[in-house]
Amino acid sequence: MKSATLRTFQTVHTWTGLLAGFALFVAFYAGALTVFHDDIAAWQSPPWRSATDAHVSADALIERLLATHPAAKDDFGIVLPKDTSHAAYAYWMEGGEERFATASQMEAPTAEGSENELADFVYALHDSLGLPVIGLYLMGIVSVIYGLALLTGILIHLPQLFGDFFAMRVGRNLKRLWQDAHNAIGVLSLPFHVIFAVTGALFCLFTITLAALNTVAFDGKLFDAFAKATATTPTVVASGTPARMLSADELITRARAQALTAGVTSFDPDYMHFAHYGDHNAVAEVRGLSRHTLGTYGTVAMSARDGSVLATYVGDRYSFNGISYAALFGLHFGSFGGRAVQWLYFILGLAGAFLFYSGNLLYIESRRRRRHADQPMRTQVMARATIGVCIGSCLAISGAFAATWIAVRVGVEAGTPQRVACYGLFLAACAYACARPVARATVELLWATALLTILVAVVDLIGNAADITRAASPLGWSVVGVDLTGIALGLVFIAFARATKRRARRGDANSVWAWQPARG
Amino acid sequence: MIARCLAGTLLGFTLSALLIALVLHLLPNHGEAFLIPGLILFFPLWTAIMAGAYLFRSGMRAWLVLGGANALAFLALWAGRALGV
Repeated sequence: MKSATLRTFQTVHTWTGLLAGFALFVAFYAGALTVFHDDIAAWQSPPWRSATDAHVSADALIERLLATHPAAKDDFGIVLPKDTSHAAYAYWMEGGEERFATASQMEAPTAEGSENELADFVYALHDSLGLPVIGLYLMGIVSVIYGLALLTGILIHLPQLFGDFFAMRVGRNLKRLWQDAHNAIGVLSLPFHVIFAVTGALFCLFTITLAALNTVAFDGKLFDAFAKATATTPTVVASGTPARMLSADELITRARAQALTAGVTSFDPDYMHFAHYGDHNAVAEVRGLSRHTLGTYGTVAMSARDGSVLATYVGDRYSFNGISYAALFGLHFGSFGGRAVQWLYFILGLAGAFLFYSGNLLYIESRRRRRHADQPMRTQVMARATIGVCIGSCLAISGAFAATWIAVRVGVEAGTPQRVACYGLFLAACAYACARPVARATVELLWATALLTILVAVVDLIGNAADITRAASPLGWSVVGVDLTGIALGLVFIAFARATKRRARRGDANSVWAWQPARG
Repeated sequence: MIARCLAGTLLGFTLSALLIALVLHLLPNHGEAFLIPGLILFFPLWTAIMAGAYLFRSGMRAWLVLGGANALAFLALWAGRALGV
């Protein structure tokens, strides 16, 4: 490649990285935690402190739903609880709007699935920064820019890829070391990043892209073709003759038996969908998680009256379209394997967050004035923004955990405290990063994050110790796992804080990271 | 730089849409069995064209070449549909 071309790609890489880097840091940090979504849910509501309605069976929920909202019978879903300490909830459409309710919420259904769940809030931060509607599109655009940054990053790096790929030049030249770390992580986790750039853009921009492609290139036929390619529920017309329905448990048992004939080793139901409930032609569809296949979430559609199987989209019964569609989710969420894959995704997710952080540091380092204590304005602004947003979002998420912990024990709904703590701490951290000298703000924010994270984990561990040992169960171990991971993350933050302080004291004084830089 | 960026972003979007539609159209059954993989390829293709647009010597050339490619792809798609190929 010509050097002029390389320079162009370098510029594109820098600017796309700067544009998308901040949002990507949040997406990766929150995304790494989201890998353990179900464990965080168990952390909030362990078996010895069940959520409201946790004892209500799916059949009782359906009965409550149809008694209060009879019109929902034509089309509704039941989100099955992930464990015995969570409640099943119903999902249906009313006047074009989504409705969600557990058994006791039927009189006043909500517009959000589970607004008090910490795990779902962390997920919302991951996929849309927690902002409604606009956040999802924003993250979609960020994903596209991320793809471009990834491609140009590889193109720049390609010429020396085989020469100094594994070279980690630890030494006096710190910029070289950061550059090596940035490149090594970027290249090693490349397949993982390609997956996220592609699936992230698809998930966030799906409807809008489909609509655009439909008009631009598919002559208005794309929506029908797409619906046909991904359909899982056979379309039926209500007969008008009422019939007795099978129980949810019976339908789940039959669905599992059918799924296991399709070459998968497990099928854990997480969602049921009903059409024309109570009618002779009623259809029930059971969705379940299968591991060790890329088609992680498969569905079995049956007659809800006699359980005869109408369609199977599991394992080797998938069409090429079906498995491609299913694989998008499996690969993005890392749900195709067991704990080992989850830990791999967790570590790669944190490494991804580090990749964007180190990219910003490289921007600052390559514009450093080497012979003057006062640094250019733009690198100062960049340094403040980087620590405010990045460390601020880590602090904010730990704050959401703390707020949830307190809210659950005080007995108030956790939704609002979570959001107030999270956004409040984030804004406070950004303000703090603007007001204090950069190096001091970095060390102090890192310490604050470390202490808050460790405090919540240790207090939770001590508070639950008796219950965990008394009722030893996989869910109890999830709670321990979340707390221990919190403590480990806290220790990493402490290590970062100490390293930053050491650098501020002993490192080159002509830098934004030195202890007392001249105010610029 | 800005002109090439815009050419890649705007014309790249339509060009990748048209190319995918064209390939699907030429496959048996109009690519019905490959629709989802085709759609998945949309974002990588668009990204590649956005990056590729910077290889043009000037913004003008980028607009001309990508615009021409759009026109060709559109004509081919339209002709394919009209002739029932």
